[in-house]
Amino acid sequence: MLLENGAKGLGVAAANEPARQLGVTEGLAFTDARARAPNLVAEDLDPVADAKALAALGDWMIRLSPLVAIDGTDGLILETTGCDHLYGGEHAMMEMLSSLLQRNAISHQLGLAGTPGAASALSRAAPGTCLKEGEEQAGLTDLPVAALRLSADAETLLRRFGLTRIGQLYGIDRRALGRRFQSRSAADAVLLRLDQALGLRHEPLAPLRPMPLRSARLNCPEPIATSEAIKIGLEQLTQEVCEALSATGIGARCFLLTAFRSDGSRSDIAVKAARPVREPKHILRLFRERIDTIDPGFGIDLLLLEAHRTDVMETSPMALSGDLASTDMDAIALSALADRIAARLGEGAVSRVQPRESHMPERAEPQARFDGSVPIPAIPSPTAGPRPIRLLPSPERVTVMAEVPDGPPLRFIWRRVPRTVTRADGPERIAPEWWTHIAAPQTPPALGGQARPWLTPKMDPRADAAQIAHVRADLEAMLDAPSEPVKLLPRARDYYRVEDASGRRYWLFREGLYGDGRGGPPEWYVHGLFA
Amino acid sequence: MEHAPLPLKDVFHLSPPRDRPSLAFPLGLGDAGLHEICEASHGDFAAMTGFALAARAHRKGPIVWIRQAGLKQSHGLLLQAGYREISTNISPCLTITPRKLSETLWATEEAIRSGVAALVIAELEDTDFTASRRLALAAGRHGVPVLLLMPYSRDGATAASARWRISPRPSSPNRYDPKAPGALRWKAVLERSRQAPHMAGQSFDLELDDETLSLRVVSGLAADPVATRPAWAQDRIGPSHLRQSA
Repeated sequence: MLLENGAKGLGVAAANEPARQLGVTEGLAFTDARARAPNLVAEDLDPVADAKALAALGDWMIRLSPLVAIDGTDGLILETTGCDHLYGGEHAMMEMLSSLLQRNAISHQLGLAGTPGAASALSRAAPGTCLKEGEEQAGLTDLPVAALRLSADAETLLRRFGLTRIGQLYGIDRRALGRRFQSRSAADAVLLRLDQALGLRHEPLAPLRPMPLRSARLNCPEPIATSEAIKIGLEQLTQEVCEALSATGIGARCFLLTAFRSDGSRSDIAVKAARPVREPKHILRLFRERIDTIDPGFGIDLLLLEAHRTDVMETSPMALSGDLASTDMDAIALSALADRIAARLGEGAVSRVQPRESHMPERAEPQARFDGSVPIPAIPSPTAGPRPIRLLPSPERVTVMAEVPDGPPLRFIWRRVPRTVTRADGPERIAPEWWTHIAAPQTPPALGGQARPWLTPKMDPRADAAQIAHVRADLEAMLDAPSEPVKLLPRARDYYRVEDASGRRYWLFREGLYGDGRGGPPEWYVHGLFA
Repeated sequence: MEHAPLPLKDVFHLSPPRDRPSLAFPLGLGDAGLHEICEASHGDFAAMTGFALAARAHRKGPIVWIRQAGLKQSHGLLLQAGYREISTNISPCLTITPRKLSETLWATEEAIRSGVAALVIAELEDTDFTASRRLALAAGRHGVPVLLLMPYSRDGATAASARWRISPRPSSPNRYDPKAPGALRWKAVLERSRQAPHMAGQSFDLELDDETLSLRVVSGLAADPVATRPAWAQDRIGPSHLRQSA
């Protein structure tokens, strides 16, 4: 039996079949259970590990049906519509699933019905039953109300009313039933579960994995264990998926290959494309880099290829000559190159400049992932001063040997080499972006490429109260004690273009002005190198 | 044996006669084949980048810029706003940042073979004869020019059509402000050349016209004094002044 620390002390959370025969059931206090069966082995319940194991089993069940959802803490729901005929009918599918689970030593209870609620009730109260569509009301009559996935309070209350069977709920007037509960929501919960089981209300399932628009599966009569065999299987699957995609005129940006091993585990590889594709040769080439990462184990008995993130494909004919093309870039070939590089070197390896309007040179040209869009955006109109051809990733401090108050230094040491300035040009003053200092922190990028606004708390981007209070406290501290430097405020930069005796040209800047009250004396940095 | 079409006038040829690579200054840099560009000494990477962008032949199409990640810290990133001051013809760039040298070479070859790029520029730590031969063959077969930018340590045999060694030179006098740097100048030494072996070892003094952004070869620059500076500028700034103060 498994133990759980509840409101009334240690209690039994789950018990196996031999324990149940000794009278130990769920909900019993641990001391009572001990009294009934002194030699029973007790372990602590680990809900996190249980949920993980259930999710893993659910992932494995995708081999039977593309839509698998988790039901509570101990159940899985499979949508079998359109799948059962592959196994020779609903009964045959249940038998197959039962033997599959038995082979992997997973104890289970199955139920099959037209609605998720009825199937869930059957599996809990009458394992092995299979109801046809429309027979739910008759089939559920004799089952206990506990099978309806109700809360413990609702169950107790119904038992006190003398309502122990689901069939007894059918005849009661709904408003009368609602009045017996203390709160309206508790009554609604019971009615909702009942309606869902009977198919009067729709119950949407939350699938473990998003449903692919197109997929193909390959059952291997004999488990395969070599990468050559996987390659051949993958070729067939890719051909099949691409034909299905081209029949509807769409392409996909993500292809997911799942290999189900016969021992109940699986491994996935995904390839991504910058633009929607459906060219089997290209997709296979992307998979070729990663196919060796599949561990066949004791053998793979099912391969599944899914096309995700599908989109309409542009199928404009190619221009006859390069002079007639609207852009001088072949977008499809360019993104095919980007896909191949990214498949081998990783997601972030291919990038392009995403220009931003910013005076700070390090913020004006951030690199962004190449998303297949052409033309690649050009850099906006030239800025005021000269810009170096190479920008150091972060400004590097230099030691200034001979400083003049209103110009660049005459000599400085950078990377341990003294350099003598012969000519200089400047300054170009770049003031700090005060608004970035009080702006709210940017929300982290959403997982899985989808924006999930409900996961991040609501925040006014113009006025984050805490941040503004922080800055205000800084300013007040500065007013109270003028000698105390405020380190957090950014300082203005004066940029100079200098040339040394050997002809190398640097982009130096002095951070801060003399007496700006934002820190100590100004410091010098090298930020870039001119050609 | 190859048969060259007869140069008959008014006769249509199915394949245009293959024009011989020019033997003028850039020797087909950025137009055909594989060119290696190396630093003369540590710290000349920026000068080398500027030379490569200014001297390349302009072709329509995107540039694929492959940058080994390890070189970023010491030599910096490419700033496209600075690119504008060197070349009028700004092609958009696709950047690839591999980590290892082998990955860089692979990505370079892949970029050549895809045939989409008008120019492939690769910054890498080093290469050897085999790798350069492979890249040169791919560049020839697919007609994509390739430039390899490498640090000063690059030496030894190569299969590239040319190897250039670049160092910066003090810039030309600035007409409007004698204290400020003027037009960019570089010294390019042609170390090796397959097309013109007799030119190997020749040194070119180059200046970038900052108005037309065109590169010109300046002869006799090395013999002349670098810049004629007014006397008052010598007084205020320069080595003699520092010697006195030190």
